[in-house]
Amino acid sequence: MLLDRRLLGRDVLVLFALAGWALAVPHYGSEFVVSMALTCLMYVALATSWTLFCGTTRYLSLATAAFFGIGAYVSALFIETWGWFGVIAGGAGVAALVAVLMGSAVLHLRGTYFAVLTFGMTELIRHAIAYWEKQVTGTVGRVLTVVPERDTVYLTVLAIALLSVAVSIVVRRTRFGLGLMGIGADEQRAQTLGVNTRLVKIGGFALTAAFAGAVGAAMSVRWTYIDPTTVFNPFIGFQTVLIALIGGVATLWGPLIAAVVFSLLAETLRLQAPQLYLMTLGLLLILSVLYLPEGLASLRWSTLRQWRDDTRAWWKALRAGKAGKSTRKAAGA
Amino acid sequence: MNGHPQLEARGVTVRFGGLVAVDNVSAAFAAGELVGIIGPNGAGKTTFFNALSGVQQPTSGELFAQGRRLTGAQPHKFAAHGIARTFQTPRVFGALSVTANIDFGLQFAGLHRKSSWLLKDDASILNLIGLAAQAKLPAAAITPSQQRLLEIGMALATRPRLLLLDEVAAGLTEAEVDAMAQLIRRLRDELDLTVIWIEHAVTTLLRYVERVLVLHQGRKIADGTPAEVVRNAEVIEAYLGDEMMGDPA
Repeated sequence: MLLDRRLLGRDVLVLFALAGWALAVPHYGSEFVVSMALTCLMYVALATSWTLFCGTTRYLSLATAAFFGIGAYVSALFIETWGWFGVIAGGAGVAALVAVLMGSAVLHLRGTYFAVLTFGMTELIRHAIAYWEKQVTGTVGRVLTVVPERDTVYLTVLAIALLSVAVSIVVRRTRFGLGLMGIGADEQRAQTLGVNTRLVKIGGFALTAAFAGAVGAAMSVRWTYIDPTTVFNPFIGFQTVLIALIGGVATLWGPLIAAVVFSLLAETLRLQAPQLYLMTLGLLLILSVLYLPEGLASLRWSTLRQWRDDTRAWWKALRAGKAGKSTRKAAGA
Repeated sequence: MNGHPQLEARGVTVRFGGLVAVDNVSAAFAAGELVGIIGPNGAGKTTFFNALSGVQQPTSGELFAQGRRLTGAQPHKFAAHGIARTFQTPRVFGALSVTANIDFGLQFAGLHRKSSWLLKDDASILNLIGLAAQAKLPAAAITPSQQRLLEIGMALATRPRLLLLDEVAAGLTEAEVDAMAQLIRRLRDELDLTVIWIEHAVTTLLRYVERVLVLHQGRKIADGTPAEVVRNAEVIEAYLGDEMMGDPA
């Protein structure tokens, strides 16, 4: 009703394609390929769920690393008592709870203030846990002894990634999704039309956080040893935001494809030339903000044609300018 | 009816730092009234509207909708109590279709409110405001005067009891202004809406409303029928002052 039926068909198709492709990987792929696919799925889940709230409302959150880290710690602390699915749900729950508290404090701020504060809070949580470990428990980091099988982890992350895409498809078609869209377009106007913006924002932020928490809980078992620096790594948050921005925050499949492309790029380049990877990422971000502000998903043949025509016109103007200058010089002499 | 006015402001003051934009204004609006608010530039008309719709928290004073206290509530609460507004510059959702803009209000404040058959669904609202032909166009693609109508349609989609109109006739041709006034009359007559209408062009407004509030430097200086208000000495002085010194043209 709220979105086109045809779009629903396309979205579900994307979801099935992703699922089929991902399910096949552990059967045929080498250890390296599976690990790469796992990273892909992790960023699919993170970027898709980030876009669900931050993309539609334009509240740019840098707190993904905080929720990821919280999930990872829940997993490390309770996996022996709660079991595998217990810690996934627990990680999601605790992260969502923290998001509700964090959101109540900062979601009335917009733009840069919101981004900076979410980043600051991530650092605060990281340092608080480091302090607590040092002073109270007397440990640095945690060693994970009970670790599920590789395929269990893989299938769990795949399930979380699929769920995040499915939830995005559904939310876009609900009143809740419409409220998020209204907040992104004109928050005050949405309020005067009856949207309880505070509730919708906190709900959306918590939903995003739950996914990041679940991913963190599942991924923590890949490391046998975790500490705050590893799991609260701000790079996780930055990369999520970059993937979403380059992919196109207003779309469903932009961030999804960007997540796959960038994870592959990351894993290959990071091994050979780590600096080159970061430089590529930075350069792509600048180019996409300058020339493709709606992200890769907005790229069409007409966009490419426009670029070609613009470049030609610019080149012509440049040559005409040079010619003009030399004529004037000649006339002056 | 329970005897309470649809909306009542008691001693509403809005202060921005040292500037008093609205100064101790009290007014009550009954069901089915068509009231105009006039005043020179900077008289505090829009700020008063912002206070009445919850967009701006008053510094002091109280607001009641049908006797229920709304002071300090969020704007969505005002919408839920049947108070709808338009903005001076149309704030439509440009990327959405005209129909989807109407649906927005129907999905939120209008969802659980009692509806007249005139506001039954998006199609009937579009017919009412005369934008049925533009239903499928993106809201950004229609003309500015159509966007003003759409603003009214979005407000109507919340199925209100009271409608706050902020300069809906500004920049319209004389024929368009007349059509707009007809529409507003119709809304009042057929939906029994209370309409409060701000307009900078005084003569236009006085032709259509039955009661006028005059604001000057944030204070309410007159409240009566158009005939009474134009003879009020304080009003004449405020407007003469505005026209002779305040207007650079």
